[in-house]
Amino acid sequence: VTMPVPVPVQVLRLPRGPDGCSRGFSPTSPRFQALLGGSAAAQGVRAALRQRYLRGLAAARGRPTRFCLRAGVRVDAVFGAADVEAVAFQVDALRTPLGVQAAALLRCTDVLAYSFLL
Amino acid sequence: MNDWQRKSPLDWETYVNKMVKVAAIEKHEYEGWVLTVDPVSASIVLATFLENEKVSISVVLGHAVQEVEILKEGDDEMKQRLSCIFAPEESKAYSPEELEKRKNDLKTWLETNHIPVTEQGESGRTLCVAGVLTIDPPYGPEECSSSNEIILSRVQGLIQGYLEKQQ
Repeated sequence: VTMPVPVPVQVLRLPRGPDGCSRGFSPTSPRFQALLGGSAAAQGVRAALRQRYLRGLAAARGRPTRFCLRAGVRVDAVFGAADVEAVAFQVDALRTPLGVQAAALLRCTDVLAYSFLL
Repeated sequence: MNDWQRKSPLDWETYVNKMVKVAAIEKHEYEGWVLTVDPVSASIVLATFLENEKVSISVVLGHAVQEVEILKEGDDEMKQRLSCIFAPEESKAYSPEELEKRKNDLKTWLETNHIPVTEQGESGRTLCVAGVLTIDPPYGPEECSSSNEIILSRVQGLIQGYLEKQQ
């Protein structure tokens, strides 16, 4: 009796996500490297730094913010949110030369710096 | 990725609580006290104290950083001041005894409702629910932390309801 030939399963190729790497996050990113394990001290410091940063983002929420983009472009908006992988910022009431956009995404690669008052 | 982004968290930590000058691309310069460096994007969060008691926060994105120069080190008073900037607000001050009672009452209530809860941290001040959510003093919905937003939302709702019944 011969073994039945296994039918190969079709692999469904999903389109690439906006981050470019459809695995969810890049396996070469420092974030994933840290997940693989480094020293406990480095991980502890990493967590403390990240927590302070996240609290900073929470403090920015709802505040008028000035974004410095490339080529000297500056725009004002109300800070909305930031995503986990630092791909984009969501803002409200973005003032552009064409008018005020109720909601918009600013790509992190386009933003050099942003500032707000506490 | 630039040299700044490639640094380790221990390296970035050496800049915290220091007054620095950040040289960014396109000839931008930023000065201020370093509050933190985001380990994910290597973005530097700077604080500048203005005359009218306000604080200006500037975040320089990691990919735009060219050079960071340390200008001076913050003294203990400055470190204390900086650590308070983003600290969650404490709306009402509870005495240590009040906090202990709030913690124990909440812990008992959770256990009565078959929700596993343990105490952790220094002197057991933090409650840990099902190993995935922590509750800090004063043990309200705002003091819950978890990486699972569904559990977070559920537990916050439970605590909200519990506190309302207490009144």
